[in-house]
Amino acid sequence: MDLTGFFQNLTTWLPFLPKIYNPVVIDFTSLFTVLCWLVAASIALYFSVNNSRIWTSIGIGFFLLFWSQSYQLNPWHETFTVMIAVHYMIGTISILLVSHGIQEYYLFTRTLEITGSKKTIYIGTFLIIAIAILVISLNPKPSLYVLRNYRMMNNTIWFFLCILNIYYIVKIYSEMKDSPIVNGIIAFGVVFVCALIWKGSGLYMMIYQWDKPWLDIIEFTGESTDIQLHMAKVQLARWLFKTFNVLTSLSVAGTFAYLFKLLR
Amino acid sequence: MFLLPKGNPLAENVPVAKLQLPEALEKLKNGALTGCAVFDFPGADCALIYDAGKMVGALVHRENKELRDQAALQALVDLLVLANSGSFSVYGFSREMTLALLGMINGTAVIDGQEIKQIDFKALLDRIKNEQMTGTLKIFTADRSGLIFYKGGATIGFFHNAATAVETSAGEVQQIAGLPGAKASLSALQNEQALSDLSTMVDIRKLWEAASGNIFAAPPAAAPKAATPPPTPTPAASASDVETAIIEFANQFLGKLGKALAEKELSNIGGAKALSDAGTLSEFLAAMERGSKMLASVNKIKEMNAAISNEVAKL
Repeated sequence: MDLTGFFQNLTTWLPFLPKIYNPVVIDFTSLFTVLCWLVAASIALYFSVNNSRIWTSIGIGFFLLFWSQSYQLNPWHETFTVMIAVHYMIGTISILLVSHGIQEYYLFTRTLEITGSKKTIYIGTFLIIAIAILVISLNPKPSLYVLRNYRMMNNTIWFFLCILNIYYIVKIYSEMKDSPIVNGIIAFGVVFVCALIWKGSGLYMMIYQWDKPWLDIIEFTGESTDIQLHMAKVQLARWLFKTFNVLTSLSVAGTFAYLFKLLR
Repeated sequence: MFLLPKGNPLAENVPVAKLQLPEALEKLKNGALTGCAVFDFPGADCALIYDAGKMVGALVHRENKELRDQAALQALVDLLVLANSGSFSVYGFSREMTLALLGMINGTAVIDGQEIKQIDFKALLDRIKNEQMTGTLKIFTADRSGLIFYKGGATIGFFHNAATAVETSAGEVQQIAGLPGAKASLSALQNEQALSDLSTMVDIRKLWEAASGNIFAAPPAAAPKAATPPPTPTPAASASDVETAIIEFANQFLGKLGKALAEKELSNIGGAKALSDAGTLSEFLAAMERGSKMLASVNKIKEMNAAISNEVAKL
């Protein structure tokens, strides 16, 4: 779907917006995925507002994940590479927040203590994002190599924290198997399994330099690639990456909607 | 007369004329009955509910009045001694069905004789499911009655006044619900974990011997003691009972972690004795609510706090 004309007209009507220099082409899969993340984020955020403090970390974390994913619809992301770096950093912060919430949940099941306040979470999240933006802004404009590094960092942190979160979910489950909301906890386990496959397949392609950002880089540098020798693995990893991206967003939306029903 | 389902008949329509109640109840206890014993007298009837030999509920319906537990047992003894006709039946049920019946005869009324057209029936069924109620929904008109049994919010059977056994389809009961002027009552168990054995609280043999010795004599000293509520316990004993009940409520509504949460919060305030102070009680309920939000729904928490407040009122 070519939206270049639309955004060029938009910058004419709203002259304070940066000019569009690159074509803005958004494919339907990206649009659908981001819309799924929007639904998931809205439910998660709404859920976190009127609930216990621990849900705030988890809810805001998933909302930030939508923010990080929304770069696919950002028409300026090709021009302003700083913006892409910020999206990746926010994606990384999102899993840190979600994991913080999950670990606090586990701590609660062991100590039955809930400490801290929602305000601390809101202010803390805002400060971390502000610092990340400041650090990125103070440094040189990210090159394609740097952006790929940011993306690899994001995938790596997501991958290992998902493993840790699955472990904690199992522990939480064993502590509260007779609780009325235990099925919601199992649903969270499903979310992290989907996210593990999604981010894991992305990380796998990056480690072996079969990912699109690397292929874009070597198109200009003329470096060779062995991708043709491993096309079956690459195709499988690409399929897993796309499918589990959508499945993760759907499972997050479903889990929060289900939890909302259970906790009503 | 109340409508009770018929389960697996272990004894049916046995005349009560020569029935020796203590022996009969002893047999039910030793046989580890799970089900109910039904006594049918002209103008009155009685049901005793058994869970693995424990008498967990008793109800006597006489002259449009209902008597429960100790009072019901006292009334049953009187009815048996005075009656010259009547019958006695024993039916075995699954434990789920027994608890649903117990919910009906000994549970708390969730709705009581409300007209069906004034009830949001879907919301009621959702509530039964969400709150995982164990009890019985009775749907009735002047001529017809139907029962729907629930265990943990799931439907486990249907019965109506023309049925000979518990049914698996709702057809007939649905028809009763559609009749003009149909009403509904729903009673559910508050705490299915804490079922006490009535036979350990009331000395049936003593009541029986006292009543059958001379039916025109004044009731013996022991009888009213058993039939009336126990004397007010000392505050220390009462606080310990309340503490046990609170922990059981938390376990029932929130699960194992709820039990641990209640124990922790009670220890934070220095035990259930401190709950007689209104400030401490609201502090305790707020702390319970804060922790419970991670474990159960808002409705369940409200219900639990209401049950705890009722229990604390006994202090």
